[in-house]
Amino acid sequence: MIRKEAVSIIGNYVGNNPAISANGFMSRDLFELNDKESNFYMIGSMGLASSIGLGIALKNPKKQIFVFDGDGNILMNLGSLVTIGSLKPKNLIHIVFDNNSHESTGGQPTSTSQINLEKIAKATNYKIFVVKSKTKLHSILKEIKKLDGPIFLLIKISTSKERSKRVSWEPKTIRDRVIKSLEK
Amino acid sequence: MKEDNQRKIFHYLKKKKIENFIGVPDSTLKYFIDECLKNNNIIITTKEEEAIGVATGMTLSKSNSLVFMQNAGFANSISTITSLVKLYEIPLVFLIGWRGYLSDDAPEHLKIGQIQPDLLKLIGLKSQILTEKNWKMKCDWAIEQIKQKKSCALVIRRMFHD
Repeated sequence: MIRKEAVSIIGNYVGNNPAISANGFMSRDLFELNDKESNFYMIGSMGLASSIGLGIALKNPKKQIFVFDGDGNILMNLGSLVTIGSLKPKNLIHIVFDNNSHESTGGQPTSTSQINLEKIAKATNYKIFVVKSKTKLHSILKEIKKLDGPIFLLIKISTSKERSKRVSWEPKTIRDRVIKSLEK
Repeated sequence: MKEDNQRKIFHYLKKKKIENFIGVPDSTLKYFIDECLKNNNIIITTKEEEAIGVATGMTLSKSNSLVFMQNAGFANSISTITSLVKLYEIPLVFLIGWRGYLSDDAPEHLKIGQIQPDLLKLIGLKSQILTEKNWKMKCDWAIEQIKQKKSCALVIRRMFHD
């Protein structure tokens, strides 16, 4: 499974709930496949998708918040797992698309193949799920929609030559669309 | 800054509809932070950038937020300020403890203390220094900035040694 396939599947489960996507190819894939007002496309500030998601989750307890994170991104902000795990937002679903690489910068390796990200998440109070196939992804998504979070869904994906277009919305437009969607 | 004024600043900002206080502790700001703790209105993060991320999420949810940090943490945060706060124009109030303001502060604070005013200017983050006398006026200024959808910084100088 490549990231685009996984993003496409998850899109069906997100609905109009807020989604915060990590910078690089992650945001580009979400934009190309499932552009919505409720998507916050992070285009800079690497590592912070989970923190922005936490802020939105704490202030919008009736919505389920989906964070689309990458392995390179979460490694840059492992501290956010500690903060999220200590505050335990029930409505946060933290998805990490793990291809063991910094694909957006040319495919250089990350160290996630050498360690267990899910064990780190488990130690910080997340409910953890690890998925490698599309069939499993469908069934897990149905399951986690009914569970209290914080939930950590690690999706093992393969690298790919497929490239999505850049996010064409202006940052201020992204901001205003998200603010508007959160008011609903 | 004196203890009672630091405590008053928390209540003053809260009254002016700053709802969230998020950051990394700093001894220059310790009474302010203690007042946030006493009122159970604080999130202490592992790093300053994380605090800015959480505050951004809350601000997008129309809940005004302040991020507190030492200036060492401000140095950590520059990329986040340029590529998130300034880029998306997220109206946050920063409260920064100015270590290295005194030229005989501990050595690790001297360089950042010296370049902090220039750094703030270079990244385009408007700032004001809070004193015992002017803090109310400067807090009002910060509130006005975020009403105009602009981020800004309030700075408290480290005037003592320990």
